[in-house]
Amino acid sequence: MNKYDAVVIGAGNGGLVAAIRLLQGGAKTLLVEKHNLPGGFATSFKRGRFEFEASLHELNDFGTKDNAGDVRTLFDSLGVTDKIEWLQIPEAYRVIVKSENLDATMPFGVKEFIDQMEHYVPGSRKSMEKFFALAKEIHAAQAYTNSVNGKADSKVMLEKYSNFVRVGSYSVNEVLQSIGMPQKARDIFNAYWCYLGAHCDDLSFIHYASMVYRYITKGAAMPKSRSHEISLAMVERIRELGGDVWFNTEAVKILTDSKDGGVSGVVLSDGRQIETRHVIANCAPHLVFGKMMDKVPEVEIRATNARKFAGRGWSMFLGLNKSADELGIENHNYFIYDTSDTVKQYKLMEKIATNEGQATVCLNRAYPECSPEGTTIMYFTTLYMSDDWGNVKPQDYFKVKNDVARRMIERFERDTGAKLMGNIEEISVATPMTYARYCGHPQGDIYGYESQYWDGLTPRLQMMAEDHRIRGLRFAGGYAMRLSGYSSAYFSGDISGRQTVGDIKKEG
Amino acid sequence: MAYRFKRQIFGFMDLLRFKKMTAIRREKLASAPATPLPTTYRVNETARILHPGTQPATLTKVTLNTADTKTYTFKLSRPMFFRAGQYVAVRAKVGDSLVARPYAISSSPLTALNQSLVSVTVKKAGFFSNWLFDNAKEGDVMEIGDPSGEFYYESIKDSTNIVAIAGGSGITPFYSMAQALKEGSEDYHLTLIYGCKTEADIIFHKELDALVSDKFKVVYVLSDEKKEGYEHGFMNKELIKRYAPDNATVMLCGSNGMYKFVDGELKELGYNMLAVKHEPNCVGVRDVQDKTYKIKVTIRDKDYTVKANANETILVAMERAGLSVPSKCRAGGCGFCHSKLVKGKFSLAGADKRRLADAKFGYIHPCCSYPDSDMELIVPEG
Repeated sequence: MNKYDAVVIGAGNGGLVAAIRLLQGGAKTLLVEKHNLPGGFATSFKRGRFEFEASLHELNDFGTKDNAGDVRTLFDSLGVTDKIEWLQIPEAYRVIVKSENLDATMPFGVKEFIDQMEHYVPGSRKSMEKFFALAKEIHAAQAYTNSVNGKADSKVMLEKYSNFVRVGSYSVNEVLQSIGMPQKARDIFNAYWCYLGAHCDDLSFIHYASMVYRYITKGAAMPKSRSHEISLAMVERIRELGGDVWFNTEAVKILTDSKDGGVSGVVLSDGRQIETRHVIANCAPHLVFGKMMDKVPEVEIRATNARKFAGRGWSMFLGLNKSADELGIENHNYFIYDTSDTVKQYKLMEKIATNEGQATVCLNRAYPECSPEGTTIMYFTTLYMSDDWGNVKPQDYFKVKNDVARRMIERFERDTGAKLMGNIEEISVATPMTYARYCGHPQGDIYGYESQYWDGLTPRLQMMAEDHRIRGLRFAGGYAMRLSGYSSAYFSGDISGRQTVGDIKKEG
Repeated sequence: MAYRFKRQIFGFMDLLRFKKMTAIRREKLASAPATPLPTTYRVNETARILHPGTQPATLTKVTLNTADTKTYTFKLSRPMFFRAGQYVAVRAKVGDSLVARPYAISSSPLTALNQSLVSVTVKKAGFFSNWLFDNAKEGDVMEIGDPSGEFYYESIKDSTNIVAIAGGSGITPFYSMAQALKEGSEDYHLTLIYGCKTEADIIFHKELDALVSDKFKVVYVLSDEKKEGYEHGFMNKELIKRYAPDNATVMLCGSNGMYKFVDGELKELGYNMLAVKHEPNCVGVRDVQDKTYKIKVTIRDKDYTVKANANETILVAMERAGLSVPSKCRAGGCGFCHSKLVKGKFSLAGADKRRLADAKFGYIHPCCSYPDSDMELIVPEG
C-alpha cells in the first residue's frame, strides 16, 4: 500500500480536480492533505447561527444547464455537478468610488451590460460593443487552443483569431484606450481587476477580457451549502473512483531519483515514505523547491526567484442580527475603491495603513435563506500587495487585525450608507497569518504568482511544456499555469491531472 | 512594469510583440538570481506562534490550588500567543488509551509568548482530570494543541465592559483575562462574579485580589458558607444587577447547570441572549441502556475494529482503543474530529453543529455523536 502511480499533495481546488482526472485515467492515486478538511480555501465554518463561506464570492464560467460555462462542462466530465445544489448570482457587481462620485451597478448579460453602461456613460455603446466582439474572439481562440492541448497552429490562429494575436501582448488599459472606451466607462468596466490581483497597466487584456466575458455571458453561480459542498463532492467522487484521501497528512519531502532527477517518492511528516514516480503539487513552487526537495536544479531556483507573490489575503465574516433590508445593504457584490486608477489603488493596497479597498458580498442577496430569517451574512475581502503583514509583531497582531476590521466596516458603512456596527452578532477575521496557517502559502498569499505583464496567462500557457522541467512533477492550483481564482485552479488541476495521466501512459 | 515596444495596436508590430512574449518570459525566468529560496517567511513564522499546532510540552510545575484542583504548567517547544479566554487541548497516554481534553488556559498570553509557558488549572472531576491529579508530575511530556475557541473579548461587537460569571473551576479563562489586562495584552473592563461553595474552594483567591485595578473587579459569592466580606447564595439577577455595568457583555464559564440558571436570570434582566458567551462544556455520557457496538475505523490505510458503548461518544470509544484520532473542543463545535460515516446510525448530543454539506455527505463529529448501531468510519490521523 506504499506505492501509488501518482500522489497529489494538497486537496485544494486544483488538487481535488487533479486527483479525479488521475483516477479517471486509471492511475492509482493518493491525495494527501495536511488540514482535516478538503478544499483549501474552498470551505466553510460555523459561528453561532451562521455558516460562513470561507472564500468563494461567485463561481465564474459555470453558467446553467442550457448555457453551460467551461467550469460546468468540466464538473460534468468529473461527475460532480449533480452532487451539488447550485444557485445563480443575481447581478454582476456594484462598484463604488466615492471620491469620484462613481457608483454603478452592472447586470449580467451582454445586452444588459452594454445598455446599463450607456445609461451611466452616454456614448460608450460603440466601444462596449467592440469590446464584446473582441472578447468573443478571444474566448473562441482560447477554446481552440484548449481543444488542441495548447499546441495551437499559428496559421489557424492568424487566419481565424488574428485579433487575439494582435491584442495578445497588451495590457487592459492599452487596449481599452485604443478601442476608444470613454474614461468613465473604463472606470466602471475595470472593477473586476481585484479578482485577478494585478493593476490594469500590468494585467494582460486577454486574461481580463476572457474573465469579464465569462462573467457577463454565463453569469455566476454558487453552491448552496457554500464551497465546502464542492470540496466534499470532489472527495466523494475520488473515493467512488477508488482513490485514497488522507487528511491531517502533510507531505514534507519529494524524493528524487539520482539518475534522472525525477520524482521517486513522497515523505510524510511522520517519516513514512510513499513510492511514486508522479507528484502533482497543489502548492507553491516556492515551497516545493524551497524546502521539499533536496536537489533542485539551478534553473528551477532561478525561475522561482523570478516570480512575484500576488495578493496576500484578508477577509472578514459578519453574521448580522438584522435583515439586509433593515441594514440598508442593497446588493450582492460590491467593489469599493479609493480611486478608479488601478495603479494608484494597487499602491494603496500595499500597506495596512492605507488599504481600505474591498470586495464585499452580502450572501443573502443571492441566497436569502443562507441565514436565519431576520439575519444577514456578509464577507469582506481585500488583498495586500506587499508583505506589510510581515511587519506585524505577534504581540500587536490581534490589535492590528481588529483595527483593520473596524476600518473596513466603517468604510463600507460610509460608502454605501448601510448600518452594520451595533448589529454584529458574529465576527471572524482572517489575515495573511490565517491563510499562511491553513494552506501554508508564503506570506499568506492567496493569489499565487502575480499576473505581471511578462508572467501573464498567455505566456504561461504557451510555455507550459518547457516549464515542466522535472520528470514526474507538475503543479496545480493558484501558482500554476492558469493563475489564481476558483475556476483557474480547477482548470489547472484538470490540465496537470490529464498531463500526468499521459506521462504515466508513456512510461508504460 | 509592462514592456514598452513601439506602440501599434492592431498592426503588424502587434504580431511581433505577441511572438516575443514567450522569449521575454524565458529570459526573465533564466536571468533571476540563483540565490537559495527562502525556507520560511515572516508572516508564516508569526502564524506559527499564533497557531503552533500540536506540540510536545514538558510539565515543569504542578501547583495545588485547592483540595481538589491543581495548576499544571507546561514548557512548550515553541512560543505561543493567544486571546485570553481561549483553551488548549492537553493529550497524554493513559494506560493503553490516548486521551485528550480541552482546558481553558489559566496563564497569560505574554507568558506564553515570552517564556513559552502555558498553564491549565483543572479540578478533579472525571477520568482524565483524576488521572492528571493523581499521576502528573514534573518532567512528564504531554501534547498541547493550538489555542482555540471564541471565548474572548471581541472589540468589534462586545461592550468594553465585560461581566464574567464563573462557577468553581470555571474561573480559569477569567484568571487569564485578568492577567492579560494587567500585562496589557488585552484592554477592556472586567467585572468578575465568582461563585464557589466555600471560601476554601476559591481558586486563585490571593492572585485575583492582587490583580484588582481600575480595569478589574472581583466579587466572590459563597453558596454553602456564610462569611463576612462575601456575597452569599446564588448568582441571581439581583446580584448581577448590583455589580454589572450597563450594556455589559456577559461571559459565562461553569457547569451546564449554572448556565441554565444564570441564563434564566439574564433573560429576565433583558439581556440579548445571543450576545452572551458560554464556554462550551465537553459532551459527557448519555443515559441509555448498556449496549456494545462494533465500529470499524479506517485511518489512512489501516483498519481497526473498536468496541463502543452506547452511552459514550464515538470519540471516547476510539480513544479507549488507543487510536490516535483528532479532537479539540469535544463539544461538537470546532469540527476538528470531522469524520466520514460510511455506514451506521448515530445520535447527536445537543444541537447539530455540523456544516450543511457535512450532513449531506454523511460526515459526523465523533466528539458529540453516540453510536446507535455497528458503524464504519473514515477518520483522519489525530
